[in-house]
Amino acid sequence: MNRKIGVYICHCGGNISDYVDVEKVKQAVVNDDGVFLAKTTMFACGDANQKEMVEDIRNNGLDGVIVASCSPKLHLLTFRAVSERAGLNKYNYVHANIREQVSWAHSDNKAGATDKAIQIVKSAIAKVRLAEPLMPFRFPAVKAVAIAGGGISGMRAALGLSDMGCPVYLIEKSPFFGGRTSQWDVLYTSGQTGGQMVSELYGELLKRENVKLLTGAEIISGSGNIGDFKLKVRVTPRYVPENCNGDKLNESIAACPVELPDEFNFNLTKRKAIYRNHPGQFPQTAVIDMTSCTRCGECEKICPEIDLSQEEEIIDINAGSVLVATGFDPYTPADGEFGYGLSDRVITLPEFKRLIELNDSGLVHKGRRVRKIAYIYCVGSRQPEGDNKYCSRYCCTSVIHSAIQAKKKFGDITGYHFTRGIRTYGKQELLYAESLKGGEIYLQSYEDDPPVVEVNENSLKVRINDILTGIREVSVEPDLVVLVTGMVPRADNSVGALFKLPKGRDSFFNEIHMKLRPVETVIDGIIICGACQGPKNITESVNSALSAAVKSFSLVNRGELEMEPIVATIDEETCEWCGACYEACPFDAIRKTVKGTREIAEINNSVCKGCGICLPVCPVDAIELTAYSNREIESMIDALAGSYPIMTTK
Amino acid sequence: MSDEIRAASYDALVIGGGIAGGEAALDLANNGYKVLLVEKDLSIGGKMILLSKVFPTLDCAACITTPKVSEISRHPGITVFTGAEVTSIEKKGEREFETAVTKRPRYVVEEDCTACQLCEEVCPVVVHDEYQYRLVGRKAAFIPFSIASPRVAAIDIENCTLCGACEKACPPKCIDFTQETEKYIIKTGTVIVATGFKLFDPLKIPRYGYGVYKNVLTSMEMERQLAPTRPFNTILRPGDGKMPDRIAYVLCTGSRDDTIGNPVCSQICCMYSLKQAQLLMGALPMADVTIYYINIRSFGKGFEEFYEQAKGMGISFVKGKVGKITETETGNLILRYEDINENRVMEEEHDMVVLAVGVLPNTDPLSFFRNGELKADQFSFVDQAEVLSSPARTSVKGVFVAGTASGPMDIPDSILSAGAASSEAISYLKQ
Ligand SMILES: Cc1cc2nc3c(=O)[nH]c(=O)nc-3n(C[C@H](O)[C@H](O)[C@H](O)COP(=O)(O)OP(=O)(O)OC[C@H]3O[C@@H](n4cnc5c(N)ncnc54)[C@H](O)[C@@H]3O)c2cc1C
Ligand code: SF4
Ligand code: SF4
Repeated sequence: MNRKIGVYICHCGGNISDYVDVEKVKQAVVNDDGVFLAKTTMFACGDANQKEMVEDIRNNGLDGVIVASCSPKLHLLTFRAVSERAGLNKYNYVHANIREQVSWAHSDNKAGATDKAIQIVKSAIAKVRLAEPLMPFRFPAVKAVAIAGGGISGMRAALGLSDMGCPVYLIEKSPFFGGRTSQWDVLYTSGQTGGQMVSELYGELLKRENVKLLTGAEIISGSGNIGDFKLKVRVTPRYVPENCNGDKLNESIAACPVELPDEFNFNLTKRKAIYRNHPGQFPQTAVIDMTSCTRCGECEKICPEIDLSQEEEIIDINAGSVLVATGFDPYTPADGEFGYGLSDRVITLPEFKRLIELNDSGLVHKGRRVRKIAYIYCVGSRQPEGDNKYCSRYCCTSVIHSAIQAKKKFGDITGYHFTRGIRTYGKQELLYAESLKGGEIYLQSYEDDPPVVEVNENSLKVRINDILTGIREVSVEPDLVVLVTGMVPRADNSVGALFKLPKGRDSFFNEIHMKLRPVETVIDGIIICGACQGPKNITESVNSALSAAVKSFSLVNRGELEMEPIVATIDEETCEWCGACYEACPFDAIRKTVKGTREIAEINNSVCKGCGICLPVCPVDAIELTAYSNREIESMIDALAGSYPIMTTK
Repeated sequence: MSDEIRAASYDALVIGGGIAGGEAALDLANNGYKVLLVEKDLSIGGKMILLSKVFPTLDCAACITTPKVSEISRHPGITVFTGAEVTSIEKKGEREFETAVTKRPRYVVEEDCTACQLCEEVCPVVVHDEYQYRLVGRKAAFIPFSIASPRVAAIDIENCTLCGACEKACPPKCIDFTQETEKYIIKTGTVIVATGFKLFDPLKIPRYGYGVYKNVLTSMEMERQLAPTRPFNTILRPGDGKMPDRIAYVLCTGSRDDTIGNPVCSQICCMYSLKQAQLLMGALPMADVTIYYINIRSFGKGFEEFYEQAKGMGISFVKGKVGKITETETGNLILRYEDINENRVMEEEHDMVVLAVGVLPNTDPLSFFRNGELKADQFSFVDQAEVLSSPARTSVKGVFVAGTASGPMDIPDSILSAGAASSEAISYLKQ
């Protein structure tokens, strides 16, 4: 074949050329079959080189282009776009990775690295010789976004999308919107309460015609793909209609014989099986919790509108993108961890925050007046031994703010802060300064020498080797110990499991790239935001929620999407439907179909990711991958194995 | 200056072409809006394009930024003005902003310059290179830096002697000393302020000897020494060109310090110091690196793990505030510090000191509106009117803030805040 190939070999400003002799690589390929020009460049991705490439392609009519540079993860799309701009089909571009796979991997062997780079470029040349122009698949995108999770992130994203003109389904599993924020009293820095903030957002959402609000709603199945997700949502009825309210409702609630811990107050109080929203939770109606209701009918007797016979509903939702905003759980300390579970006077920060709100005149816990509080930081975070290596980011500021609130509200309280080094980053530092001025006492220990909580019959004692006073042992006998618990991913991973969302080392959902694609996941069209992605405060959650909103919006806005044409293809003659490929496919892209009288496999192009896992499992070799055909791969292997002596040693 | 005032209109004006402004411009343009991006400097890319690698992933900053800036500069929906400044903004009504912009002459015809660098070769004037943070020199006819966008020469007219050598050397004859300042009136429906931050000037703490002791550097200077486009191709002490082997980091320089009027924690300097320390251990395997800190604030995703990694590599951490630095005859530096663990004042000798300078507000945006409509917070960052529920909103409806213009932030947070600003701007335009 008569190809006109351009090869560009990148220095990467030294990242490559410090170890690979790029000039030698160029010389080694410049006379290869089909190569029309070969050049080295300081930064292939730089604007100037991109311009030069466009000119080269146009002026010389190049029909194949290779850039040997960093990982295709970073720049495959960049150079495909260059080809396209120059009028060359972007699938006639082939990427060769000589940084991650060569210069960085073999920084101890420059000669060997150069040899390997030559082979990799030669195999790319072999591939581009066989490359065919391809057209991306185009298919319609449903202009609607489904949001899983109605906490602050989900609500704010819904509002953002709605305002941009995109229909939204906001799907909340619990009976109320507001998530964790509704559980918090006065918020740093606005001074509003969490409830007020949620209430404002909810009020705005109610005004929007293009927002569908669903509570008690659980996504039970999800299929389809970017542009066309099909969700089945189970909606649990409330059983209590709006016209059952006021005194009648109160009487019904009083009549309910079932009492259980109220999770909203972190079990500090109790609620009935029929219960209403707390201030800050929406909608402002009551609901019956059927998992604990005994159907005794007491409430119905007082309020006949209550209808225990209401049935759950399954609704179908069709959306072009799914935004996951399922939030976090506060870490639950293990039994005995800093005395937790050994004394009821050892509580967590979220419990403490509820306690401040629930008390009025003085701070009373379990019937006892509290004046001296020990705050133990980083519980469930920064664990030297446990799984949670990460810092939970919000908690230093949050506990300092709560301690200040408690002091303001109840006056006679002193806090002893057992820290690992305060992390009130940014402007939050002022809060720390305020707390110090207010007479709070700060102590600090290192990771490997945490404070110890002694639980005695009538007292508590906290000991620390305080590094702020030259590693002296200091002990305090507090009335209450508050464990400053961090954030962990929600125990309920149903949405994550449904879409097979990948998680990071910290077990939170993982984005593709923190800087390049910070709210996208590897599942196209599924966007993440808020604390389900990692610990965040409210401002940070809202920033990520609105970033997610604009991302989802840009996917569905035009009503049409383009997809990679690199997919598996089935040779209908050869396939005998044994199901091996169906078993192997991680994306459920393969199904059985009937062609004439024969059963064969069929690929769903909009789901297939072109990963190629089905190829080797096929016993009759009936599957090929577009752009990675056996012919192409074999020619690459030949180039790797045949054209050059194997690796010179040092 | 010519009196002609050119008029143009766009959907959105983005002020500042750093990572935050760039992201916001791309978000808007990718959704079909026409954007004008006004950048004061000669290149877009902000501080990020000049960094070495970025925490916590240690991606090469240039490798992430160059494709972004190139996408911005060739996006059909984005017009970029470099060397341009906003002189005033007036809000005429909702979705009606009128902004006066002046574009300084570059004395080079942008479209014709091929970046051949022949003008650089012949120019006889050498001055400090601000893009290498003064570590080396550049010419008065110069290309700002190798990955600048646009990668086009400029004449530094203040230092130019008008000898005409560059004019003669330039093959496409694109050097034009008759260029004048251009004035524009730009009409847009919304404005995004992404003017970034300023670095603390360590001359304000004379006890650290910056500017007097040659081997006391700022972190940005070290960032340049570690970057792929680095000036020396290795790490050198500016004083005598020796490779350092005992390097100290002084954290919180100009942050968390009431005595210099900045009580705020800059929130990036712990992390970039951990990063630089790790890169130094790679570049100079025999060197010792010591970090003097108050608290290590590694709070973000993957940050604490990054800190652990630094400890694992053998970087030393000393909890204590450095009080004073003095120089020895050999150019080495003696740090006098309060060692918290030992509970006493101690001294230690190093051969190079890096000051982890903090983030200060860029106050430019505060003068954009004639009557102070755009409010500042108590530190002179752009005030976030609804910091919790709509962090991008400012005191002026329709004007949004992205990135470090509203306070210290790292790159991931700047990018997310830019997403929020563009989302709000689209919503506002659609109202
Ligand atoms: C030494 C050092 C190392 C760092 N390392 C890292 C790291 O490893 N990882 C990380 O996440 N972060 C790091 N950072 C932080 C990072 O630099 C910032 O988070 C990021 O640059 C903020 O982007 P920005 O767009 O908000 O501001 P900037 O980068 O400051 O960009 C602002 C832009 O606006 C322009 N501008 C200013 N005023 C005007 C005006 N009046 N009109 C028009 N244009 C104007 C400026 O010229 C500039 O181009 C580091 C910072 C420093 C100092
Ligand atoms: S924010 Fe503070 S309390 Fe929370 S994990 Fe980090 S250091 Fe510990
Ligand atoms: S980030 Fe670290 S070095 Fe920077 S001001 Fe805060 S505590 Fe100091």
